[in-house]
Amino acid sequence: MESPTPPPCPHEAHAELAAADRARDRLAARLRLPSGLHPALAVAVAVQVGTAGVGIAQQTAAGLALLFAGLAVFLMTAAWSLHRFRVINGVRVDGLASQVVLGADTTSSLVYLGSFGAATWAAFASAWWLVAVAAVAGGTGYALGARRWWHAYRSEPAAHAVGASPRLLAGLAVIACLGLAVLLVLG
Amino acid sequence: MAGLDPLIHAPARLQLLTTLTAVSAAEFSTLREALGVSDSVLSKHISTLVAAGYVRSRKGMHDGRRTTWVGLTDAGRTALRCHVAALRRLIDVVE
Repeated sequence: MESPTPPPCPHEAHAELAAADRARDRLAARLRLPSGLHPALAVAVAVQVGTAGVGIAQQTAAGLALLFAGLAVFLMTAAWSLHRFRVINGVRVDGLASQVVLGADTTSSLVYLGSFGAATWAAFASAWWLVAVAAVAGGTGYALGARRWWHAYRSEPAAHAVGASPRLLAGLAVIACLGLAVLLVLG
Repeated sequence: MAGLDPLIHAPARLQLLTTLTAVSAAEFSTLREALGVSDSVLSKHISTLVAAGYVRSRKGMHDGRRTTWVGLTDAGRTALRCHVAALRRLIDVVE
């Protein structure tokens, strides 16, 4: 049983809050992203968008395999990046996981969906150069979204730390794979 | 003072909980370095906060060695918010 302590005076309360904020900001300031995270993410998303577009347009077993190969590249890159972040920093930030795996901010989501739609349309039209352009644009936009999230997190860590848990993200990845498979089988 | 939580009253615990709002979970030694406290002090505060349901801890691995991961619970987040609000009201009285 702890002995009761008197409430702090306003000056002490101010000092306690300031010290607590400094401790939190000190931790956030020392966190580092794994080297090459943004280029790796850009390439992984570009590969995923391109292979998904071509795979869906082919509507064959080979196309399905291509689609899943691209998805696997993306998921492995995301999982490796998050693992490295945890090892380097000794912390887990679910907000980062959501941003890396789901592209959780509006810009990343819109860029991804736009590039995915464009790549798929271009693949159906056999405009392969447009598939490549859409894939690169999608990857670049996604990586820039992650970069912007990181800057926002560094300035307001408590506001951006919360996100989907790793288990939820893994579950969503499985559901996404199953959904794609069902769509392709029905198509 | 209404709203002040005696479990968070100690400055080290307020710092610990506030620091945990920046992450989903942190490894024990990372927290120790960020807060500048000894192993025993941090361990004692974590045990008290775990018993209160404000913090969760689980054994895990970090960099190839066994360690403890610590994270804020929903109850801890709510308690911290109430405590900080009470401290701000205290400050507002004189400002």
